[in-house]
Amino acid sequence: MIELTIDNKKVAVEPNTTLLEAANEINVNIPTLCFADDLTVYGGCRLCVVEVEGENRLRPACNTRARQGMVVKTHSPRVREVRETLFELIIASHDISCELNCLTCSRKSSCQLKDVAEDIDVSRMRLEPGDEEEEYDRSSHSIVREPNKCITCARCIRKCEEIQGVGVFAKASRGPETRVTTFKDKGMGNVECTNCGQCVVSCPTGALHEVYHMEKVWDALYDEDKHVIVQTAPSVRVAIAEAFGEEPGTIATGQMVAALRRLGFDRVFDTNFTADLTIMEEGTEVVDRVVNNDRLPVLTSCSPGWIKFIEHFYPEHLENLSSAKSPQQMFGAVAKNYYAEKIGISPDDLVVVSIMPCTAKKFEARRPEMSDDVDYVLTTREAARMLKSVGVNACDLEPEDYDEMLGVSSGAGDIFGASGGVMEAAIRTAYNLITGEELEEIEITPVRGLQGLKTASIPVTEDLTLRVGIAHGLNNAKKMMEKIKAGEEFHFVEFMACPGGCISGGGQPINTELTWQEVRERRIASLYEIDENKEMRRSHLNPKIKKLYEEYLEEPGSAKAHKLLHTDYTVRGVPGA
Amino acid sequence: MVQERKFLKGPRLRNPADYDFPGLQRALKMEPEEVIQEISESKLLGRGGAGFPTGTKWDMAFKEEGEFKYIICNADEGEPGTFKDRYLLDERTLKVLEGMLIGAYVIDADYGYIYIRGEYFKSIKILQEALEEAREAGILGENILGSDFSFDIKLVRGAGCYVCGDETSLLNSLEGMRGQSRTKPPYPISKGLCGCPTLVNNVESLACVAEILHQGASEFATMGTEDSKGTKLVCLSGDVNYPGVYEVEFGSSTLQEIITDLGGGPRKSHDIKFVIPGGLSTRILTRDKLDYKYSYEGLEEAGSSLGSGGVMVVGSEQDLTAILTRIARFYMDESCGTCFPCREGNQQIYKIISRVGKGKFTVNQLEIIEDLGNAMAEAARCGLGQSAQYPTGTILAEFKEELVEGAVY
Repeated sequence: MIELTIDNKKVAVEPNTTLLEAANEINVNIPTLCFADDLTVYGGCRLCVVEVEGENRLRPACNTRARQGMVVKTHSPRVREVRETLFELIIASHDISCELNCLTCSRKSSCQLKDVAEDIDVSRMRLEPGDEEEEYDRSSHSIVREPNKCITCARCIRKCEEIQGVGVFAKASRGPETRVTTFKDKGMGNVECTNCGQCVVSCPTGALHEVYHMEKVWDALYDEDKHVIVQTAPSVRVAIAEAFGEEPGTIATGQMVAALRRLGFDRVFDTNFTADLTIMEEGTEVVDRVVNNDRLPVLTSCSPGWIKFIEHFYPEHLENLSSAKSPQQMFGAVAKNYYAEKIGISPDDLVVVSIMPCTAKKFEARRPEMSDDVDYVLTTREAARMLKSVGVNACDLEPEDYDEMLGVSSGAGDIFGASGGVMEAAIRTAYNLITGEELEEIEITPVRGLQGLKTASIPVTEDLTLRVGIAHGLNNAKKMMEKIKAGEEFHFVEFMACPGGCISGGGQPINTELTWQEVRERRIASLYEIDENKEMRRSHLNPKIKKLYEEYLEEPGSAKAHKLLHTDYTVRGVPGA
Repeated sequence: MVQERKFLKGPRLRNPADYDFPGLQRALKMEPEEVIQEISESKLLGRGGAGFPTGTKWDMAFKEEGEFKYIICNADEGEPGTFKDRYLLDERTLKVLEGMLIGAYVIDADYGYIYIRGEYFKSIKILQEALEEAREAGILGENILGSDFSFDIKLVRGAGCYVCGDETSLLNSLEGMRGQSRTKPPYPISKGLCGCPTLVNNVESLACVAEILHQGASEFATMGTEDSKGTKLVCLSGDVNYPGVYEVEFGSSTLQEIITDLGGGPRKSHDIKFVIPGGLSTRILTRDKLDYKYSYEGLEEAGSSLGSGGVMVVGSEQDLTAILTRIARFYMDESCGTCFPCREGNQQIYKIISRVGKGKFTVNQLEIIEDLGNAMAEAARCGLGQSAQYPTGTILAEFKEELVEGAVY
């Protein structure tokens, strides 16, 4: 152990601990902006500088290792003076001028600049802000970039490169012209962006946010001729409460349903219902392909970020993807056909809105292959904003149930939001499809957890042991694809674009207090808790799913099911590669 | 009357056929530790500007273990007012190569790069030829001078970026990445080029090494003062009659004497207004502070530093606001844009200075510049940002009466 003194307190830390971590251990908060716990150290903002006895300059706490006997002052007058000047500089580089755009900013309630301002108790603002007008990047269906709010901390760059292995962003130019951009300034919609939105949640400011569908949804809700229904993804119920000040992982399913009714939706349905449906379709496909040794491994298709990733980087493996649409899109298809028919309205008068933890879902809904299914996609954050603006707190209301027809789901649907959840749900049903019996040990722990790559062998029959793999975060997806290319054999592999799965999707509330790891763990734990507390935990036992097949789709994999619930993919590749 | 002391300077030395590399010959007969010992005894300090003891650096590089090691000659001489490396590269070409070869032998480097300022067209041509001829003469390649030691060097041109003179930025540039500094640690000595242990030395330091191995550390240490051994190539420029590169023994003269005796005194001016003594990124010295001995410690005592050895003389008739604007513009443009204090600080300073134009600064503006300068010096990520405000800050501080509105001092 290394002993040092921080702010007159002795602290003992492991070798290689940074001063930032060491200070944390004695509950001293050092402000940071470019630092993020899941990314490499950048050392750009310099807000974390501290005084180290014997050194002539201040040292950045994020990149200075503790040494035996070090004497550190984190908030000395010298440090505080420099820190405040640095903050003035940062603010001057960020457009928060006369138009009061703080109030309309996507990050008005989760702005890290505001956090830092409070941390260092800023008392002055003497510098003139930059006056360069920069155009918004609106080229993407999912994400908008407002460069005037960018402080060039490179968190988006690092996130996209290091965690997602994609790297759509780069720094361009030097000196004051230094800026973050995409290749040849093409815009996020015209490069290999997967729309995952991890850049949005890693941005400390409002420089990146989702393409808003709020206005369109308001219009639909206010239009008396429209029947507006909403579906909520599994991960939304364990995160939306955060936008109302609750802890990550707070389960607010029933309250959220009640709140959405207050907002004016005619019916509140559950994406979990179509998650069960996905399991029926995809499970049937997997079983069929495993039995016939057809295009193995089967790769999951429910994460639209992953889909765009494989279309760009592994287009030669598109045939391995399950042809099943994602739960969001299946919901849209079922609603526009089955549901519309059942309640006797024209699909033209039906508006399908989804609430998703995801920015890529916005792109998915606009894919030409299935653009009629879902009309608008709100992120969890947008949904929370809409609720707030009608004075509804999604945590305070008496819980209500989802509307029945498309709102009943098994626990297998809930766990879709966690990495390994789709796999677990699929195994629960595939076992039944193959053996005709129910799987006894329903909790398949080897596929759970936050390790980047997971593999497991699941004995099904004497002759068949399912070999499965799971990857979450696109960098891990890349590693998994390389394994597959190198000949490692799997029957079925689950891919999620976002680290941890949908629970930490790019559309989720942004927590500036806890580490991403902590937030993920809590949200995941809640999803498993919901599953555990459900009577019905197997998709194929969902009575409403059975009814849907009986009344409409005939059987899993039928021609009608294929028409509505399956899709194909686009070879995109990487131009110039 | 100050005289030059010619230790590094000498007749043109470009063709390996005319030179027998005595320093290298001697080094190859010694153990690496003995060479390091000799360099350490000479008390040579790095001549690039930071003044880190070369012996210590080599010792660290020697002890560093790695499958592959690099040695790099930093010839990206971009510090305004500095042109002594160019002299050595052009005129004493083989001395620089020799120093590099000795370094490579000592730390057991597998490969070497000379990273040269892209605008040094003439030097580039000279070096290209010298490297080719050295290869033909067996000075580079397999079994150098008949020994077991094999080594080669590639010449790489910079692309015009000032910050690439900073060693970590230089490494990024060599790797084909954006020219911007790296966070330290890790230091290049342990993780440098492509993650391998890398020794980066300035041109003049390497030439010194060649001479030290040739003439002996004791000879080197007879020159200079206790803390500043040997000689220094001084680049005299600005308002002097005879600008040029002069070799001066440390402690033998004052800045004033160098300017008067070697530079022939101020030109087109009655007098000297101030001197920037160690390349642009050093604090200025006013006329009354030119009587300190020219040495690391002497200039520090005077309130500045020796830096790269670029002595810029500013005559009494010069327009301070024009100088300030130009300096501020330079640093603003050359900031790599990575760390906030340098990127935003230099920009804000330029904005204020250019807004003042030919007018006068308000006390508030002065205070803001001081605060920004302080934050940059304390918190910037690399030497560029840390020292960028030294000339500006000291010009404003020393010439308040002339520059600041209603200032009573």
